[in-house]
Amino acid sequence: MSKELIRLRDCVMSYGDEVVLDHINLYINDKEFLTLLGPSGCGKTTTLRIIGGFLSPTAGDILFDGARINDVPPHKRAVNTVFQRYALFPHLNVFENVAFGLRIPKADRDGRKVKLPEREIHQRVMEMLETVNLKGFEKRPVSALSGGQQQRVAIARALVNRPKVLLLDEPLGALDMRLRKDMQIELKRIQQEMEITFIYVTHDQEEALAMSDTVVVMDGGRIQQIGTPEDIYNEPKNAFVADFIGESNIIDGIMRADGVVEIFNRRFQCLDKGFEQDEPVDVVIRPEDVDIVDEAAGQLKGTVTSVTFKGMQYDTIVDFYGFKWLIQTTDYCPTGSRIGIKIDPDGIHVMKKSHYSGMFGDYSSYSEEYEELDAAEPEDGEENGSQEDGHEK
Amino acid sequence: MKRSSRVGSRIFIGLTFLFLYLPILLLIVFSFNAGDSSAVWRGFSLDWYKALFQNRLIMESLYTTLLVSLLSTAIATAAGTFAAIGLYSLSKRRRDALLVVNDIPMMNADIVTGVSLCLFFVAFFQGWGAFAQWFNGVQSAVELPVRLTLGFGTMLLAHIAFNIPYVILNVAPKLRQMDKNLVDAAQDLGCTWMQAFWKVILPEIKPGIVSGALIAFTMSIDDFVISYFTAGSSTSTLAMRIYSMTKKRITPEVNAVSTLLFLSVLALLVLNNVREIRQERRTDRQELRGPSFFENLSMRLSSPAWKWARRGGLAAAACVFVAAVALLTGAAWSQPVVNVCSWGEYIDEDLITQFEDATGIRVNYQTAESNEALYSLLKSGGADYDVIVPSDYMISQLLEEGMLEELDYSQIPNFEKIDPRFRNLPYDPENKYTVPYTWGTMGLIYNANMVDGELDSWGALYDGRYAGSVLLINNSRDALGAALLHLGHSVNTTDEAEIREAFALISDASRRGVFQGKVMDQVFQKMEGGNAAIASYYAGDYLSMLDNQADGVDLRYVIPEEGANWFVDAMCVLKDAPHYGEAMQWINFIASTEANLANMDYIWYASPNTEALERYPAWYEAEYGEELDPELYEIMAAPAEVLERCEMYLVLPPETRALYNELWIELGV
Repeated sequence: MSKELIRLRDCVMSYGDEVVLDHINLYINDKEFLTLLGPSGCGKTTTLRIIGGFLSPTAGDILFDGARINDVPPHKRAVNTVFQRYALFPHLNVFENVAFGLRIPKADRDGRKVKLPEREIHQRVMEMLETVNLKGFEKRPVSALSGGQQQRVAIARALVNRPKVLLLDEPLGALDMRLRKDMQIELKRIQQEMEITFIYVTHDQEEALAMSDTVVVMDGGRIQQIGTPEDIYNEPKNAFVADFIGESNIIDGIMRADGVVEIFNRRFQCLDKGFEQDEPVDVVIRPEDVDIVDEAAGQLKGTVTSVTFKGMQYDTIVDFYGFKWLIQTTDYCPTGSRIGIKIDPDGIHVMKKSHYSGMFGDYSSYSEEYEELDAAEPEDGEENGSQEDGHEK
Repeated sequence: MKRSSRVGSRIFIGLTFLFLYLPILLLIVFSFNAGDSSAVWRGFSLDWYKALFQNRLIMESLYTTLLVSLLSTAIATAAGTFAAIGLYSLSKRRRDALLVVNDIPMMNADIVTGVSLCLFFVAFFQGWGAFAQWFNGVQSAVELPVRLTLGFGTMLLAHIAFNIPYVILNVAPKLRQMDKNLVDAAQDLGCTWMQAFWKVILPEIKPGIVSGALIAFTMSIDDFVISYFTAGSSTSTLAMRIYSMTKKRITPEVNAVSTLLFLSVLALLVLNNVREIRQERRTDRQELRGPSFFENLSMRLSSPAWKWARRGGLAAAACVFVAAVALLTGAAWSQPVVNVCSWGEYIDEDLITQFEDATGIRVNYQTAESNEALYSLLKSGGADYDVIVPSDYMISQLLEEGMLEELDYSQIPNFEKIDPRFRNLPYDPENKYTVPYTWGTMGLIYNANMVDGELDSWGALYDGRYAGSVLLINNSRDALGAALLHLGHSVNTTDEAEIREAFALISDASRRGVFQGKVMDQVFQKMEGGNAAIASYYAGDYLSMLDNQADGVDLRYVIPEEGANWFVDAMCVLKDAPHYGEAMQWINFIASTEANLANMDYIWYASPNTEALERYPAWYEAEYGEELDPELYEIMAAPAEVLERCEMYLVLPPETRALYNELWIELGV
């Protein structure tokens, strides 16, 4: 395993009574692609800004290569950032934007300020523009570029300084869906090619799962779970993570024995162990892990209340004893029909109860939830607001 | 229906703009007038512009104006820009509150700002004086100046103070538009905050800074009221100079300088607007095609190869600026100075230059509006004049209050040339404090084409036959003086009954609608243009009206049979004058025969110098190649038998002065 590069130790960030970060402990390995994932206001951008040096934690330490860097200003950190909406310099063209960091004299080992020779600047900028596929654009004013091109300039501008870590603050938030998918692949390629640590902030769970080595799910200023995308998806630690990552039916259950969980008074085989006998738990069942069978053969029986065609599958909402489930299936079941379901033991995931229990997992207001997800996208305003006006509250 | 309303609205718009711009248009047209009338067009000429550039007082004030505007703009722009940036690092609520506070000085009445700044400076000077005295007492290494006065420095501070809000107002929107992450981005890329400021913030908000600076500059050039209260007695801006020039009459020279001022402010505004429009267009264009020629140029100029050239240019500009300031202030401080306060249009300005060339003493020549204004200026303590030129009765008053210094007549040999008639006058019986400057009479001026026959009585002023065409002088002493003379009383009477009788004469005439109005300076235009028939005014001013009278106007001057007032304006030195020796030199120079001749020719008030009075007709003939009309000369310099019929104003006891004031207020407007 590669070595540890950055560590946040018990970091707290608060403005008066408002706690934005609540004892964050986190380490980031060299060359890792780590994503901070969470809804707006969860503290992910604050965490990123602490790493970037724009904020200083109220309590706790931030270590870089083992050294404490709490008080090191941003311009002295071996870290560069790609900002929300890029923050390109409007008065400079593409070349000068990318060359900006290279033109700042840097202290060498003896502490003398050294400027890079113009030839080297030119060479490095052109190389970087090639890496981000912007060759030939160097004379353009940045305002004449499309969103995707501006994004690439922002990435090139940061990477040309050869940082050890690149921080990306919702870099794809302003792009449309297709471009976002392309850029995801491109970012991953750049990260692997240049062998740089990426710390990526997003609220988009698909993006997080697709790109990351490690995902850090945050909510309410706390880390909810750290793990690989597969861990996070398959073994969510609590109802919040289960709901936030992918689609989940979260049902109250009782652990009757190791490998046996009871839902709606029926016992199901599962793989989870180590709970107390008769302990109340949250049970996660992913919509794609449910098989629809004849009513008679079903472990549970319910009524279809709505069906939506999604291309690859039908999103079918089924009412079981007043609790609505989402089931994703290739079989079409018309609205109103009675069906049964079967769930394999590995399709059931049992979680300890948490304060998120009972808040998620019911699909009785399914369509609205989709709208909420859409509405949550342009979230930067809220997060900035919490930083800026937080002083006052 | 619709059509007619559209025509109506167009006419309305036309009238509105006419109302807005016609006066300015008139001013510009008359600045090219060949004659020196402000009412009658006598053909095109550029003479007034030529005169303007030769007028050292105007040029000096122009210099002051430019210097104070440039300096205050530069300082206010820097301070305002940083203030705006500071504002933007505050929370929104505090920032908005502060921006409202920022608006208040701009909305505030100038006069309030001016008076408050003046008060503040004077209070500070008092505190400073006490401190400096104490400080000089306890140590002797450094000698602090004890007495500070209003002057260029205080005016500069005032200009900086009122300019800063305009800069903030212009810079703030640019900061609001700026992506906040830009500074973070620059710091992230290795800049310190200061580097980020120069490399990122400044280019982003530059348009706001430039327009803020342009507006501040315009405001500074334009300002009159605040400068008036903070400049003290020894500094004048162009606007203040123009104001003092209009006190007597609006000469076309004022038109010319106002025209230039209007055009330069207009140019600044146009420049600012064009810049903004071009910027908008450029951002639009930029999105369509590549960089324009200018952008290429500016990119090339901002490339490192040009950096040294740019730095050199900047350094050179800074050097020139510093040198200019140093030269000006240095010249002002190292040279001996004399501060003179006189009346507007009351000296041949060549004399100032001659005196400066001959002695190396710089003359700081200021003007006051009236004896009363001068008095209150002196009382307020803001003035630091050496030489003043008050009239007889005001001299008495100043002497009573111990405000004048005795003169050293051994340093004023030219005093010998003053005619004995003008020595030891009642205001200075032993002649220890004064050297006469001019003298004259105040008589009746009338338009012979508007009255029946020749007038020779003050009674004409109250004559119902001339109802609506008599101008009453707007000055209680002169107005009541004429009435007292008409009734056969002394102008210096302290008898309340006599004064009330004279007042009754005036108020009765007023009720009968005899007076067209109460005037001072407007008397010139009204009489010259034939808009009024009768007025009482000074002989010297009658002569200049005569020069400007319109066709069909026939102005006459008469000392009425009841007698008239005669006056002397004399040079005095204020107690504790900082430049006493220089003041003596100045007084001696002005008392010389040559200076008296030049002044007499320029201002047409009679000289008290015996030689000058004798030689003037011959001098005039040599100068202009024509004979001086002896009748006119007698009006200017009244012969002894006429002067005998005239009475000089004496200072009145306080209770009589109070009565005058009370009656004058009762008369109303």
